[in-house]
Amino acid sequence: MSAQPITARAALLEVHDLHVRFDLPNDRQLHAVQGVSLSLRRGELFGLVGESGCGKTTTILALMGLLPSSATVSGRIELEGQDLLAEGEASMRPHRWNDVAMVFQGAMNAFNPVKTVGSQLVEPMELHELAEGREAEARAGELLELVGIGKERASRFPHEFSGGMRQRAAIAMALACDPKILLADEPTTALDVMVQAQILELLTTLSHDLELTLVFVTHDLPVIAELCDRAAVMYAGEIVEEGSVETLYHDPRHPYTRLLFAAIPDAMGDKDVASIPGAPPRLDQEIVGCPFRPRCDVSFERCVTERPLPIWLSEQHRAACHRNDEVWAAAAP
Amino acid sequence: MRGADYIIKRTAFALITVFVAITLNFVLFRALPGDTIANLSKVPGATPQLRAELTEEFGLDQSKWQQYWIYLGQLAHLNLGVSFSSTEPVTSEVGRAVVNTVPMVLLGTVFSVVFGTITGVLAAWKRRTLLDHGSVSLALIFYSLPTHWLGLMLLLLTAGILPRGGRTDEFLFNPTFTEHMIDIGKHMLLPSLTLGLVLYGQYTLVTRSAMLETLGEDFILTARAKGMRDRTIVRRHAFRNAMLPIITLVALSFGYIVAGSILIETVFSWPGVGLLVSRSVQRRDWPVLQGAFLVLTISVVFFNYVADLLYFKLDPRITT
Amino acid sequence: MSTALESEPGVVAETSERRLRTAVWRLMKDRPSAVVGAIVLGLIVLLAIFAPLVAPHGIHDKIGPPFGRPADFKPLGLDDGGTDVLSLLIWGARISLIVGFAATLVAMLIGGTVGILAGYYGGSTDTVLMRITDYFLAIPDVPLMIVVAAIWGPSLSHIILVIGMLLWTSTARIVRAQVKSVRERVYVKRARALGAGDARIVFRHVLPQVAPLLVANTVLTIAVAIFDETALAFLGLSDPSKISWGKMIKNATESAAVSYGAWWAIVPPGVCVAIVILACTLIGSAMEDSLNPRLRVAHLAARGFRIGTEG
Repeated sequence: MSAQPITARAALLEVHDLHVRFDLPNDRQLHAVQGVSLSLRRGELFGLVGESGCGKTTTILALMGLLPSSATVSGRIELEGQDLLAEGEASMRPHRWNDVAMVFQGAMNAFNPVKTVGSQLVEPMELHELAEGREAEARAGELLELVGIGKERASRFPHEFSGGMRQRAAIAMALACDPKILLADEPTTALDVMVQAQILELLTTLSHDLELTLVFVTHDLPVIAELCDRAAVMYAGEIVEEGSVETLYHDPRHPYTRLLFAAIPDAMGDKDVASIPGAPPRLDQEIVGCPFRPRCDVSFERCVTERPLPIWLSEQHRAACHRNDEVWAAAAP
Repeated sequence: MRGADYIIKRTAFALITVFVAITLNFVLFRALPGDTIANLSKVPGATPQLRAELTEEFGLDQSKWQQYWIYLGQLAHLNLGVSFSSTEPVTSEVGRAVVNTVPMVLLGTVFSVVFGTITGVLAAWKRRTLLDHGSVSLALIFYSLPTHWLGLMLLLLTAGILPRGGRTDEFLFNPTFTEHMIDIGKHMLLPSLTLGLVLYGQYTLVTRSAMLETLGEDFILTARAKGMRDRTIVRRHAFRNAMLPIITLVALSFGYIVAGSILIETVFSWPGVGLLVSRSVQRRDWPVLQGAFLVLTISVVFFNYVADLLYFKLDPRITT
Repeated sequence: MSTALESEPGVVAETSERRLRTAVWRLMKDRPSAVVGAIVLGLIVLLAIFAPLVAPHGIHDKIGPPFGRPADFKPLGLDDGGTDVLSLLIWGARISLIVGFAATLVAMLIGGTVGILAGYYGGSTDTVLMRITDYFLAIPDVPLMIVVAAIWGPSLSHIILVIGMLLWTSTARIVRAQVKSVRERVYVKRARALGAGDARIVFRHVLPQVAPLLVANTVLTIAVAIFDETALAFLGLSDPSKISWGKMIKNATESAAVSYGAWWAIVPPGVCVAIVILACTLIGSAMEDSLNPRLRVAHLAARGFRIGTEG
């Protein structure tokens, strides 16, 4: 384990102004990701939060270049200085699984049902020429043990695993090539609470032990609050606020973040569970002004016409809201 | 053993279906009211002695149930009666015909499976490109052409170049083995090709849709995320998985193959089971029709059974 | 769809009628080929209906010598009896289409009934009916059709019944699956709680939901039925007093049209059959696709994602 505090380490992955547009029929486009910028360091636990449709899954798919041909991606994705988007598929592919791996939403289906789980762990190792044959099989066994599955299960088929086991196996598979970054898309949805806790603990341990950068995508706030060091809140395809989880919880500077985190039921049951009325804006039309304004409780004239740009409030904290010179923590809804 | 249940169930089903077919055969040909066909001894031009023998053999003067029982016994001895037109035993006629049908159908089916699968895979892989649209259009057209009509078209097109029909050239005296083989080959080409083209359309469409379904599965995205090239994904994951629905749908086409072979053999006078069916229908040669029908039905049931077992072998998820 | 709305039978009917209309609209946008198919099919049906007005000659009118060439006897030449091929085509359309539609109707009635009974009552009724369906499916249909037609004797009604009796299995399966899923829906349970009888429930609630898929299946069955008629006719099992496209092909073959090179006696009827089958297949599968959308993302694209330049 490195003695360096996370914030002092060099950036591992830097995303600059990422845009993703999908072609729609009738010559229209869906602007799913609108200028996302991020910086990730080794070993950090980073959360990406937002309601469904906000673009978080599209963002992490873009990081691995796993978008269909109806997508146009622009911006820079720099992994240790190298731009992954420079030549599209060709510059992306060598880094897949090797450097950046992913645990998909609904990992139950990530496995091919007619092949053994073990063979699917071995596959990327042989593909990237890291190991083969006996050696690869042994390593697959080790990985399974690492996530708490007996290594004799490698010769079994996916349908013989329970949901929670398959999730863990998917994590083992993601680690097969010793990646630097693990993207986890809703890894605990559709699992029961006990299993959820196990998976979360597993991910935290792995991140610490292997110096693995974890990007945790979810709409489930308590999980972020518990697991992550830093998080970014996404809305309508852009990051509206980013900072340490502490800051987001205690000092949110964007109304959406405030309302979101206020909706977390307090352990004491003191706070109300507030859901935010209204719906996010359509992404196939250009947005004028602040995208959150229709649902915002503190908007004013400036919000109607001018789209807020992110403002750095401290070294690690930024938010995209016109009201950022005021302290909102005290303003109860 | 995995899925012992499944195997037993499928075997039982196959056997029962064969039994149903056998009984259906009897009911249709012997037990229906009206005496035009029921009387197997009505071999046209038969001597009274032959008639008496047949009546004795098939119990034609006894009740239907007893006849049924006798019928089952005879099937066990592969005795299917005597042809009305040739007075030969049905079993030997049908047996000869089967030997002729098999190579012709095999050639056509292999052709269509191979080309149909390849085209289907490519069309699914390069979806929405010209290759896809073109392949689908071509497949649809071939699928819509009536089998016998396609055969006639091919005859028209190759008039003079390829033989008009039959299996061998009657005027080829004492051919060497090679000459004989070439002769048969020339005669077999068009019938097999007709069958192949008609099935090709079906298999292309089937393979394509099975592949499209598979390519939309999550594990394909995982494979891509692992850094696999498209080509490898198609080969190693997509096709392997799509084989399952493909086998099912190929099995369903066996009935189509049988229907096709009846029509094709009639068009080309290819001396197989299909021609036997159409000739016996024409001549009202009921014993032969009965025998041919039974053979065709049992083969379809058998091949479906084989397909079931194959599917079971390939899909580890089946346990019951 | 809210369940409160669904308890009103009138609204259910409207919703499913709207569903059907939406399906048709989507069809027209996404699959122009299906629309073309429908138009062509419609034209052929019209031609058949108005045969007496449209056909230039009668089917028994001897215009010229056997196999008169198209160059001499426009537009399609003469068949082996010296009759105008075009007129035969138009008159033959009647029988071909009648057999196709009527046999399909028979198949739909049988299959629909079996499917509804099996799906609605479940249990042992279901098992028994499905076993029977399975056996019917397992036995190859064309040989059985041939045998029954041969024994029964060729007449129009016999042919229709024979074909229909072997085509009902796919309809039964689809209907059963649909009925099963509809049966569990809240508004059906509610209707039953209110005391509605089985028949009423089936007709007012279940059938409208089943209808769209049933229509798609029907169209596809018509294609098969028309093919089967051609096959039976080719083997001499069709009604000898009527002319159909299948019969035309048979007549041409028997009178050695191939040897004469009289392609005009063989090609046109086959083309007509192919067109109708193609049209039905296009329409039917387009309908099936729009009702059962398998709009999955194909994870493999011919090219990967594209790099853009705008910010």
